[in-house]
Amino acid sequence: MTQALDTFMNKVISVITGDGRNIVGMMKGFDQTVNLILEDSHERVYSTQAGIEQVPLGLYIIRGDNVALIGELDEDIDKRLDFANIKAEPLGPIWVL
Amino acid sequence: MVLPLSLLRTAQNHPMLVELKNGETYNGHLVSCDSWMNIHLRDAICTSRDGDRFQKMPEVYVRGSTIKYLRIPDEVVEMVKDEVKEVRRQQKDNTRAKKNFQRGAGGNVGGPPRGGGAPRGGRGGQRGRK
Amino acid sequence: MPGEKDDSTRKKKESIVDLSRFIDKKIRVKFQGGREAAGVLKGYDALLNLVLDNAIEYLRDPDDPHKLTNDTRQLGLIVARGTAITVVAPNDGIE
Repeated sequence: MTQALDTFMNKVISVITGDGRNIVGMMKGFDQTVNLILEDSHERVYSTQAGIEQVPLGLYIIRGDNVALIGELDEDIDKRLDFANIKAEPLGPIWVL
Repeated sequence: MVLPLSLLRTAQNHPMLVELKNGETYNGHLVSCDSWMNIHLRDAICTSRDGDRFQKMPEVYVRGSTIKYLRIPDEVVEMVKDEVKEVRRQQKDNTRAKKNFQRGAGGNVGGPPRGGGAPRGGRGGQRGRK
Repeated sequence: MPGEKDDSTRKKKESIVDLSRFIDKKIRVKFQGGREAAGVLKGYDALLNLVLDNAIEYLRDPDDPHKLTNDTRQLGLIVARGTAITVVAPNDGIE
């Protein structure tokens, strides 16, 4: 049973891309190959030393074959997070070209 | 809902940044794109993976399959909503014009498919959704 | 009814770039896997297979395959397979 990405439409999602980056944004559209449109997106850069760095990116089209994971972001929990104090190992790329 | 390729088509003539799977980035104005996401940019600047080498070129053709992502200016989103409405309106006009034509010449033509005039276009035929 | 449709629903299967402008001109081509070549475009087809004359390959640094050196090697007359091509650009006008 295939389910389309309709459930994520106009919701804020967190995407993990093939090169190990984490992009957060509102999903405005998608297609069968999972190309995504993200509005007001920003990248979250994790580091073991500094806290999370958020890099604003704006309007993004991510190509489907670069998308590894899509998750719905709970904005209430997200608001309560203290980004400066969260330290984590950055993800590595899934494939190296 | 906006399809990614529609957004890209609407972004023609706008500047954008394209990152390829090999890490190179191309900054340029979109001339055209197709359904495979192949793109043609003009006045492009290619930045190498390390960010230390630059090349300017009057135009460049990039294969869709090598694109990782595209960054486009925020104002394009506003434009695409208008274009989607315009396309739907044109399709409605087309189907209406065809129906009138068939009705006019209808007597001699053998059974044109009448009724069941579901609007064409749009995945899953979702009407009334902006 | 063969009505004229607008750009967004075009049915023609033509390439978005017109390579005839580059015939007999030097172009730069990048391939999947990172190779780069340049040559005079002698022919092409809709699948983006290219015929390049007097082609040269730009050799890469063995330690860092993403870095180009100034070395080149001669390839002569080649057919570049469209399926492996990632980028095409005219060679003149590059600075």
